[in-house]
Amino acid sequence: MKIRVKAKEKNGIVAAKLLIKHPMETGRRKDKDGNLIPSKHLTTVTLDYKGETVFDAHMGTGVSKDPYISISFTGVKGESFEVNAADNTGETAKKTVKIK
Amino acid sequence: MNKNKYLAIIISSLLFACQPYEKAEKDSESSAESVPTGTLIQKDMPKSFQMGDHAAQEVIAGWDIDIRPDGMGLPPGSGSVEDGEEMYEEKCASCHGSFGEGEGSWPKLAGGEGTLTDARPTKSVGSYWPYASTLWDYIHRAMPFPAPQSLEDDEVYAITAYVLYLNEIVEDDFVLTKENFATIKMPNQDSFYVDDRPDTSNTRCMENCRDATTITEVLGPEYTVHILEAEAEAKLKALSSNEVKIDETMLANYNGACKVCHSVGIAGAPKYGVSEDWTSRLAQSKDTIYNNALSGLNGMPAKGGRSDLSDDAVKAVVDYMLNSVNAK
Repeated sequence: MKIRVKAKEKNGIVAAKLLIKHPMETGRRKDKDGNLIPSKHLTTVTLDYKGETVFDAHMGTGVSKDPYISISFTGVKGESFEVNAADNTGETAKKTVKIK
Repeated sequence: MNKNKYLAIIISSLLFACQPYEKAEKDSESSAESVPTGTLIQKDMPKSFQMGDHAAQEVIAGWDIDIRPDGMGLPPGSGSVEDGEEMYEEKCASCHGSFGEGEGSWPKLAGGEGTLTDARPTKSVGSYWPYASTLWDYIHRAMPFPAPQSLEDDEVYAITAYVLYLNEIVEDDFVLTKENFATIKMPNQDSFYVDDRPDTSNTRCMENCRDATTITEVLGPEYTVHILEAEAEAKLKALSSNEVKIDETMLANYNGACKVCHSVGIAGAPKYGVSEDWTSRLAQSKDTIYNNALSGLNGMPAKGGRSDLSDDAVKAVVDYMLNSVNAK
């Protein structure tokens, strides 16, 4: 799992774009030999800015592979925020990003 | 086979182009046609065709913009991932997506690693391309889509660096320069190899070769072979067995009407030379097999779609195919 983030501030509003590289397996798909592919999907994605959670998403199997998320919030250029993601297998990823 | 045809066309156009020159410069009676083709193309090319102008170095430089895998052709310059991000957002992201994921059905630039063997592979810079030089060349030559060749060399370096970063080939503090270009190794580079299959079943002849005018084509079940006319009959005889007579017409019929399905098994067709495919068919009487071929069955059209063939011609081909699995 790898998170890519771009964040740009304009008129006091930060536009953050997130791309999380994740297979988002539902657990209902079968491989070539007919065996079920175990489920592996994101459960939570959060964005914390100055100690406050400004975005909190709970995801399930309905979200596509490599989800792309776009978020806007009030913020200041040059400051940082943190993105956290976790999936149902316990894997987590974290990224700290500076607002441009 | 096709290659030879093209070569013939090229040689004949060379002949045509050289004719006035031969006459004017040498004042010779012999026309270009009488010169054996093999020797003509080995001669030095004339200095001038007495038309057009010599291309100046500057003119050639304007066209010579290709970049080779080792970095040959790159202009001096550099660009960082950081600068590239800004330019990418401005000029590229509207189509290729902020992370190279591709907006709509515009090309994806990143992702798709490990999908090349899937039914629907994603061929991106990172998952497929063998050399980074193609990226530089392509961006420089054809991008951005509405304004190709509008980018400065340093901008191309920066955007190239950023696309490599999107594919996790370089880190975010990377600066791409002419000097370090060749050090970039693309993930899929080693999956490309030179196709070692031969063009034809014939061995290449480099010296003491046969006279081209006595060589003929013989259609075979797998390849078309080129052999001496004198040997053609013997070759066909060798292909034949006691039960099945193989001749040019029959092979042409097989190649033209039957091979398309029966060589690879399209629409459930039993394959030429594959015994298992024929087992259930051979349980039937030979007349049934003939009739199925003549009037069609399931995916098989009557006479293989060639209603112009005589019944006997179709039967001959059936015999030929049955013979391939040693059935009579």
